Amino acid sequence: MKKETIIGMGVVLLGFLSASFSFGAEPIKVGIIDTYTGPATAYTFDVLDGFKMAVNKVNAMGGGPGKKIEFLTRDEKFKPDIGLAMAKELVLRENVDILMGTINSATALAVSDFAKKEKIPFFVTFSKSDKITGEHGHRYVFQITENTLMAGRAAAFELAKKPFVKYWIAGDDYEYGHAIADGVWTQLKKLKPGVQKLGESWWKVGETDFTPYITAVLAVKPDFIIVATGGSGMVNFQKAAKATGLAQKVPFYQHTAIELSTLEPQGLDAPEGVYGTANYLFYYPDNPENKAFVQEFRKAYNRYPKIGALYGYVTGMLIEKGFAKAGKMDKEKFIDAVQGMVIDSPVGKLEVRPCDHQLMLPMFFGVTKKVPQYPFLIASDIVTIPAKDYMPACEEIKSMRK
Amino acid sequence: MTTKNIRGKEFWLVPLLFILLLVFPLVLTRFYTYLLALIFVSGLAAMSLNLVLGYGGIYQFHHAVFYGVGAYGAALTITKLGYSPWIGFLVGPLLAAFFSLIMGAICVRLSKLYFGMLQISLGSLVWAIVYRWYSFTGGDDGIHGVSMPALIGSTKGSYYFTLLVTGACLMTMYFIVTSPFGSALQGIRDNPVRSEAVGVNVRLHQLVALVIAGFFAGVAGVLFVVVDNSAFPDMLFWTLSLEILIMCLLGGWLTFLGPMLGAAMMVALRTFASTFTEYWTLIQGIILMLVIIFLPEGVLGYVIAKFKRLGEVASGGKA
Amino acid sequence: MEFLSSICPPEILCQILVGLSRTTILFIVASGLTLILGVLRIPNIAHGSLYMIGAFVAFSVSKWFGGGTTGFWMAVALAPFAVALLSLVVERGIFSHLYEREHLMLLLLTFSLALILSDLVKMVWGGQYKTVQLPGSFKGPIALASLPIPIYNIFLVIIGPVVALGLWLLANKTKIGKISRAAAVDREMVGAVGVNVSWVFAIVFVIGCFLAGMGGALVSPIVNITLGMDHTLIIEAFLIVIIGGLGNVWGALLGALIFGLTQSLGILIWPQFGIVFPYAAVVTVLIFRPTGLLKSTW
Repeated sequence: MKKETIIGMGVVLLGFLSASFSFGAEPIKVGIIDTYTGPATAYTFDVLDGFKMAVNKVNAMGGGPGKKIEFLTRDEKFKPDIGLAMAKELVLRENVDILMGTINSATALAVSDFAKKEKIPFFVTFSKSDKITGEHGHRYVFQITENTLMAGRAAAFELAKKPFVKYWIAGDDYEYGHAIADGVWTQLKKLKPGVQKLGESWWKVGETDFTPYITAVLAVKPDFIIVATGGSGMVNFQKAAKATGLAQKVPFYQHTAIELSTLEPQGLDAPEGVYGTANYLFYYPDNPENKAFVQEFRKAYNRYPKIGALYGYVTGMLIEKGFAKAGKMDKEKFIDAVQGMVIDSPVGKLEVRPCDHQLMLPMFFGVTKKVPQYPFLIASDIVTIPAKDYMPACEEIKSMRK
Repeated sequence: MTTKNIRGKEFWLVPLLFILLLVFPLVLTRFYTYLLALIFVSGLAAMSLNLVLGYGGIYQFHHAVFYGVGAYGAALTITKLGYSPWIGFLVGPLLAAFFSLIMGAICVRLSKLYFGMLQISLGSLVWAIVYRWYSFTGGDDGIHGVSMPALIGSTKGSYYFTLLVTGACLMTMYFIVTSPFGSALQGIRDNPVRSEAVGVNVRLHQLVALVIAGFFAGVAGVLFVVVDNSAFPDMLFWTLSLEILIMCLLGGWLTFLGPMLGAAMMVALRTFASTFTEYWTLIQGIILMLVIIFLPEGVLGYVIAKFKRLGEVASGGKA
Repeated sequence: MEFLSSICPPEILCQILVGLSRTTILFIVASGLTLILGVLRIPNIAHGSLYMIGAFVAFSVSKWFGGGTTGFWMAVALAPFAVALLSLVVERGIFSHLYEREHLMLLLLTFSLALILSDLVKMVWGGQYKTVQLPGSFKGPIALASLPIPIYNIFLVIIGPVVALGLWLLANKTKIGKISRAAAVDREMVGAVGVNVSWVFAIVFVIGCFLAGMGGALVSPIVNITLGMDHTLIIEAFLIVIIGGLGNVWGALLGALIFGLTQSLGILIWPQFGIVFPYAAVVTVLIFRPTGLLKSTW
């Protein structure tokens, strides 16, 4: 080979070597525990994809101060004992710096305890138990998603303005269902003391045929129904509602009724006139950040982003900015940096509230409606409820944690 | 049903393993220590099932109930009632034995599949109560952050405690199965009519076996709380019962230590398969299918049969 | 409808009708399970997975034919056959060699199959929710007094007895049916008489799985088609088979009726604990008649 070629190759090689040995070369290792099996999968892949989008962006820019983000995923199959064991494996064997996940509240609570013991920051991306930042909150856990108490209060905020008086409460018979129902009802009663509860019906989680429950409630003739379903139950209930024409007879509310994850699978057959709350709508607010986010997501994954995508994306951004501000791989400095941090997001500026490490998301309240532009229903008459109006106050959180 | 009389000849392995296991935490990382502790917990649960399944021939389809009751008994005593963990450790197995007595008394009149199905119905009732009574049991959130005495709270500490308790339980189980009671139980498994004719009270023997099995399952549940400081309603769900059943069959349900080996295989598979693929259920299903088809006596059963044959060949014919 | 509502309060009538539509799906799935359990003596835990595959295949077929009315009918017609074909492959390839094994082993074999199938579904169809569209004429409710009954539910109520009749004819009026019933009770004898028992088993197994696929296809327009569907019905199907009598198709119908009606009527009485009723009914039956209400083939 010619001398120049060898020298040239040597220079290029040296260049590569120096690039990889840039200061702070070890990457930020994130361990994600989530459920990628069973019905929850419809939500969790969005979280992962949103997170991946943020990570790709960060790594393309060369990472934090010379730091890239690396991540590992583990499928806990919605089993908390497996999820906890996987969290331990990620921390004790893979030595991750940050833990992230999961959609299962029981797992989130157990992993949160473990994170506290091991002093590892843990970002909760989809679990909705209010105990995570409330009663069992601590320095090492951050919640990106809303919780049942918050959702309930946001809904009550708007429902109190409506003329309905006689309510019926129905839902999935597990902690999430009862927590949402209690969250809405307790706050509603506070804001509008005149409301009456005619009764309650509860069905097993994973119930697929709601027709008998709907017909039984219709016989009682309430003004409004608060339906506390989650996950797969959202679609199943709406299907039965459409088949019985429920929304036109007695209006009802579900948390996430207006979300894409609930409406897209049903196409144009989803029921109209259903009230709901959601933290993310890809078409609202119609500002440049949201538009860019949606465009980037569609280009990468060939589908519209659902709520999980926002959670995953924001988590990725927070991790990157947290380490950038801390200046090094110090977990304590990272936590100090993240709490109180304000970042830009597709739904505007978001702050990680210092007193409980809860992300302050705006909540959107709306009604489902058919529109010509999309092959699925979207929310209309959207009201934006800012976080400070529906989140429990810091004093409340303090008293919960006593 | 088979007519093999299980004598547990391979039991001499245990003291040897025990010494090895005492030394492991000093050389292994925290994670493997934790993993071994988990294996002991699942293994003990599987061994307790095998007391009635392999030795008794009873189709115990919902054994997880007693495991879960043991765990919840301990966890609730410590967190809700505020008693010392040592009291919780006693409450768990006793409560599990009690449940086993009640459910056993109801189901023991039936045999085989009917016993199994009634037990599943009753067990599901217990699960449903734990799942819905969230004000007391924490519902589907489970119980977490159960505090342990400092001595056994750390990874090493919980490991040694689990090892000691599991070892003690195994020794007790060994004495039970090699006792006249154990022989009578196996006789009932192989030929209930003849046993009855010889004067053995079949139903009583089976009930006692069930209570003992329930007790040890409860101990396993308590050990889970020691290792993972939590209790979850999943521990009472029928899918876990099937998993424990599979551990027995994978390892070899006609051997004494088979279930422990099966537990080790399942836990290891779950932990390591999930690190390189998201389809680890598929891998689990395939391995299970292969073992069922080709190794119907389980892995340990197969190994022992192989050794027996080698021994026979070496000594020139039947030993 | 008006006549009926004059002799019986509309709420109760309404609950009975929707309870019956639930019965249909439970019956179709449970009848397949009881056939396999009764003739082959295999507790088929993979039955739930086959039900789920029936629903997913219905989704794909419906999409292939552009949804709507054509899509729906093609899905209901083809999906059960696809599931039957899959079950034939599994039966000939794996199960047929293992019939002498103990029941426990066969149960765990079907369990391992269920594990494999559930991950395969995820591989083929992915994790997002799927839907099958109802044909236009089936959309919406008809009114009973002021209470709505979805038309599709009424369609299901009619389909149920049709399937039951079909199965009865198959079991009693065809040669294969009579041979299967004999093989259920005494397989050695049937083999000794010169019948190829292995093929009898294959046919019964395929029919049983066909029914599971049919259940999944029929239920596909009114439920959320999702991973994890295999777990929703399997315990209920087994309980129905047990209380009905192992291997007894009429028993499956009776069990499904008890299950479906106790739940829909129980909701009227005590909506907070509606789920308790069918399980309470099951435990009651098992305590007094542990071998099932009707004669079993075991």
